Amino acid sequence: MVILEPVEDVAREKMEQEQHITGNVSDTLGLRHDLAVRCRGVTKTYGTGDAKVMALRGVDLEIRCGELLMLAGPSGCGKTTLISIIAAILEPDSGMCEVLAHDLQHLSQSERAHFRGVAIGFVFQLFNLLPALTAVENVAVPLLINGVSRRRAEARAREVLEAVGLGERLSALPAQLSGGQQQRVAIARALAHDPKLIVCDEPTSNLDHETGRNMMEILRRVGRSPDRALIVVTHDTRIYEFADRIARMEDGKVVEIVEGAESEHLR
Amino acid sequence: MLRVALKMLIGDRVKYVGLLFGITFTTFLVTFAASYFCGFMTRGFALVAENGAADVWVMDPAVASVEQTSNMAASALGRVRSVEGVASAVPLALGTAEARFPNGRFQPFQVIGVDDATLSGVPPLENGASSAALRAPDAAIVDPGGTEDKLETPLLEADQWPPEPHLDAPTRPLAAGDELLINDRRVRIAGRSKALPRFPPRPLLYTTFSNATRILLPERRRLTFVLATATPGVMPGELAARIHARTGLRARASDDFKADTVRWFLTNSEDVGDIAAMLSVAMSVGFGVTGIMLYMFTHENLKQYAVLKAMGATSKLLLGMIAVQTGLCALVGAGLGLGLCATLGRFVAETADFPFRMMWFTPLLGGGTVVLVSVAAAAISARSVLKLEPAIVFAGR
Repeated sequence: MVILEPVEDVAREKMEQEQHITGNVSDTLGLRHDLAVRCRGVTKTYGTGDAKVMALRGVDLEIRCGELLMLAGPSGCGKTTLISIIAAILEPDSGMCEVLAHDLQHLSQSERAHFRGVAIGFVFQLFNLLPALTAVENVAVPLLINGVSRRRAEARAREVLEAVGLGERLSALPAQLSGGQQQRVAIARALAHDPKLIVCDEPTSNLDHETGRNMMEILRRVGRSPDRALIVVTHDTRIYEFADRIARMEDGKVVEIVEGAESEHLR
Repeated sequence: MLRVALKMLIGDRVKYVGLLFGITFTTFLVTFAASYFCGFMTRGFALVAENGAADVWVMDPAVASVEQTSNMAASALGRVRSVEGVASAVPLALGTAEARFPNGRFQPFQVIGVDDATLSGVPPLENGASSAALRAPDAAIVDPGGTEDKLETPLLEADQWPPEPHLDAPTRPLAAGDELLINDRRVRIAGRSKALPRFPPRPLLYTTFSNATRILLPERRRLTFVLATATPGVMPGELAARIHARTGLRARASDDFKADTVRWFLTNSEDVGDIAAMLSVAMSVGFGVTGIMLYMFTHENLKQYAVLKAMGATSKLLLGMIAVQTGLCALVGAGLGLGLCATLGRFVAETADFPFRMMWFTPLLGGGTVVLVSVAAAAISARSVLKLEPAIVFAGR
């Protein structure tokens, strides 16, 4: 396993200074907790009247620090809604969701934004790299959002890009990179600010099988650490082997959680 | 992050150039339109402008501009001269006459009769000729006054003063030595002048006050204006007030009379109203284009803002990014537009005698309003960024 030295943690220091984010920051970042995520009875409904769709119907889920958990299930079962709530970008209608010891319901909009910026890394299905920025600049964005100087942010970005094997393509624009390389940039961007939770939405669905496996290997090799949890939403049964546990969702609920090694029947 | 905002803006070259082009074009359009309007208005008070030596214009109390006049009794000149603070006062006659050209064609002229003694107010003549030529009997100086091809006389001797008009005969520009008939009185052309173009455009005929009285149709009163200069130490406004108080005539300092004339055009001239309406439509279109383009730029980048929002960018940060993008576009576009307007305006004014006058407030109007429209567009588009649900960054949303 490659261990990336954390960036001089300006982001975390900043969070420590945030008086309105309650609790001990070391605690809040999950350093003393086994659980990175704890959801109880989470519900979420979209629309009203006839158009009403109940995306989550009381989800209970726990994700441990240091593990890679995959959320699997058919389209429309609520996987994306669940990770949106866990990533603090969507509010549940009811239930409790505690992420890195923060009860998200008690955070204001700006506190949620700070929380996401400091504690969460994102990997998107469509990569969502900023097309006008080079690989280094894209990876530096989370650090810049957290107030790190450009020089330090880009130095850290180069370090992470080298760790994911893109040391030779630092100045390339997203359009000049292959799909696999773009996803590696996205992974580097998710890791750059040393978050304690990484949320990946279908990271391999736009990649061929071989590239998708490489991607998961990189994510596991570079992204995993004892104090960090990874959640991967996926349809791709061929990458189940990279999971520590797999939570299968159906119709807005987690119906089964199995160890990665015991996932044969899910494929 | 502001650098990231600029790279987001400039990185998409096609959009950026399109946006700049739109803002540049709008600034150019608005500034050019305003300068064009100022040019027209300046031509409207050209008679006042070319009599730079006059501090105060004295006229019948009913007169409000150089465009619509009423004559005064000849005694007004002496009354003005008697006012304390008047250093000198000269008469000026204005009238309209149909001049008959040698081929039988008729052409209306504005006849301007200047003081016989001083010839004050005669514009510079072409080829360096002296205005003293007006002292010759029946002499007049002609000027196109912003018109084209109106001062043409027959080229051939055979086409001059024929029993029947020779309207299709070949022509040449009217020159010194040619003759015209005005109200059956002979007028001998002493030269052509380079007076300020007029609005509305019309040929001008400068002659002495006495000759103007001779060639214009007889009227009981012929004195249109008295042009007074102030003795040293007396301000024009103060002298105007004094002349009005002593004579009962309307007296206006030159600058005030220019402003009166502009106001008169704005309230009385249908042409000005039409021009203003046309320019307003052009400006509105320009503003609309600018606003929509800026809004569209932010709107098309909503996904990128959503990604930044998901990654923890605060509303304040996103607003700052939008402000930087809008500010750069607006300032660069406005600068380019103003530069283009000044360059092109000067070019067309010098080469095509175009009524273009870029006054101090026209760049402010053009650049300022474009910046304001940009700010408004940014505010509207910022609203959608602030209300943006970052969850759209995930697949399926």
